[in-house]
Amino acid sequence: MMNTLKLYVKSMGMLIRSHMQYTSSFIMQMLAQLVMEGGEMMAVILVVDRFGSLKQWTGGNLFFFFGMMSVSFYTTEIFGRGITGNFPSMVRSGQLDTLLIRPRTIFFQVLCSGTDPRRITCIAVGVASLIMGSAMSGVVWSLPKALALAESILMSCMLILGLFLIEAIFSIHSVKSVELVNAITYGGRSACQYPIDVYPGPLKVLFTVVAPFALTMHVPAAYILGKPLYGWPAWTAFVTPLSGAAVLAVMIVLFNRGMRFYRSTGS
Amino acid sequence: MRAYFSVFRMRLRMETQYRGAMIGGIVCQVFFGLILVALYRALYAGNPQPVPIEHVATYVWLQQSFFRMLTSTDPDLLDKIRNGNISYDLCRPVSMYWFYYVRAMAQKLMGSMMRGIPMLIFASLLPKGWGLEPPASPAGLVLALAALVPGFLCMCALANLTMGITMRTLDPRGISAMLDLLMISFSGNILPLTLFPDSWQRVLSLLPYAQLLDAPIRLYTGEYAPIEALRILSVQIVWAAILIGLGKGLWNANRRRLIVQGG
Repeated sequence: MMNTLKLYVKSMGMLIRSHMQYTSSFIMQMLAQLVMEGGEMMAVILVVDRFGSLKQWTGGNLFFFFGMMSVSFYTTEIFGRGITGNFPSMVRSGQLDTLLIRPRTIFFQVLCSGTDPRRITCIAVGVASLIMGSAMSGVVWSLPKALALAESILMSCMLILGLFLIEAIFSIHSVKSVELVNAITYGGRSACQYPIDVYPGPLKVLFTVVAPFALTMHVPAAYILGKPLYGWPAWTAFVTPLSGAAVLAVMIVLFNRGMRFYRSTGS
Repeated sequence: MRAYFSVFRMRLRMETQYRGAMIGGIVCQVFFGLILVALYRALYAGNPQPVPIEHVATYVWLQQSFFRMLTSTDPDLLDKIRNGNISYDLCRPVSMYWFYYVRAMAQKLMGSMMRGIPMLIFASLLPKGWGLEPPASPAGLVLALAALVPGFLCMCALANLTMGITMRTLDPRGISAMLDLLMISFSGNILPLTLFPDSWQRVLSLLPYAQLLDAPIRLYTGEYAPIEALRILSVQIVWAAILIGLGKGLWNANRRRLIVQGG
């Protein structure tokens, strides 16, 4: 286990160094990411400016939800780029074959194959939004609340990684429906940067049962903001996020099954 | 002229090839549209606004339907810039700018038609307040369609302008990516321009980004009265001319100092 972790840290270090080789390009791309996420945040600011509130949620609450989503989503993209970005092209190019002969699991090796450090600026925007949201909502921080936040972000990352694994599984079977999966991952990101209870029934079901962003993110966030979602008791804020780990576990099992059907494209 | 026409036709045909990706794209775009409309409906509950929710829903659907017109870029040209094959284009006996301009036209037109028309049909079947409303008046519809033409010319000109910059930086992910983001934000795709603060709208509606889809949509929903059409159309045409002029200038300058990659 320790050895595996060391390998992961080592490959991340190598990848980050390789990203840094073209310094000016790297900085430009980081700035582009900053503008992109800043633009997303500007949209929320403008929404708050025009509407003031969204049902029972104040403007500050909305910034907090937005911050949760961007921190979780882009942390996943930094550490899971191998899954979120590289995998389909590894299958297409036959590069995946080289992973089959090494003494580590495919999932782990794919995870080690990519990182996206440019996203750090997106996370900065997310953190700024979290701080702003928590200050505007007058959150009184306590140890349980801090723990709930940490657990929520960790579990949301696992959930997002699990959802991206669906795309990876599809690409093993060379099913060209990547855009359909995007509807769940990126659609989930867009929809769930606002609290789930403002949406109509079918969307609520989709993002609670199928892709449980509401459980990993909104239940604990609402607890931290002192406005429990659906009036659920406080302990749910610590239990429901575990669904993120469950989704990831299921997806890893399915991924390993899918790999049995992998046929190389290389020659 | 005939050369450009056949480039246009060839590119049109190519764009009709990827039908599988198209269906996935439509489903994805419809889903995003539904999420956005649901969100705006929730925001409107208890916070009524001068712009009625029906107009916002219509705005969202028209934006989503023509999304491809806004964002599609020419992957072949990007490859050529990166691997140096762009030097072959210099040998063609046609203007390089217009060659790629008509390609962009064909790609954007066909791409958005194939996705947009099914989406618009779907959106018009949705219940009132969720879907696409009929136009405010017959005149509004005619003028909106008329305004789409200069808007479309602006879009293709902007695409070529970004490409011109990429020819210099060789990397589409830096400045060019930022320009695209500006376009997505200020063309009303992330948030309808009608919901921006009123003081911003006065400035934003004069920027080139508002000429692309925002101006035609507002004519369609009746936000702009038909009487104003002449003023709006002239702003659009002026911008189209400026953007094409700028783009052509940049491409001509690039010709003189073109960086050819590879060896």
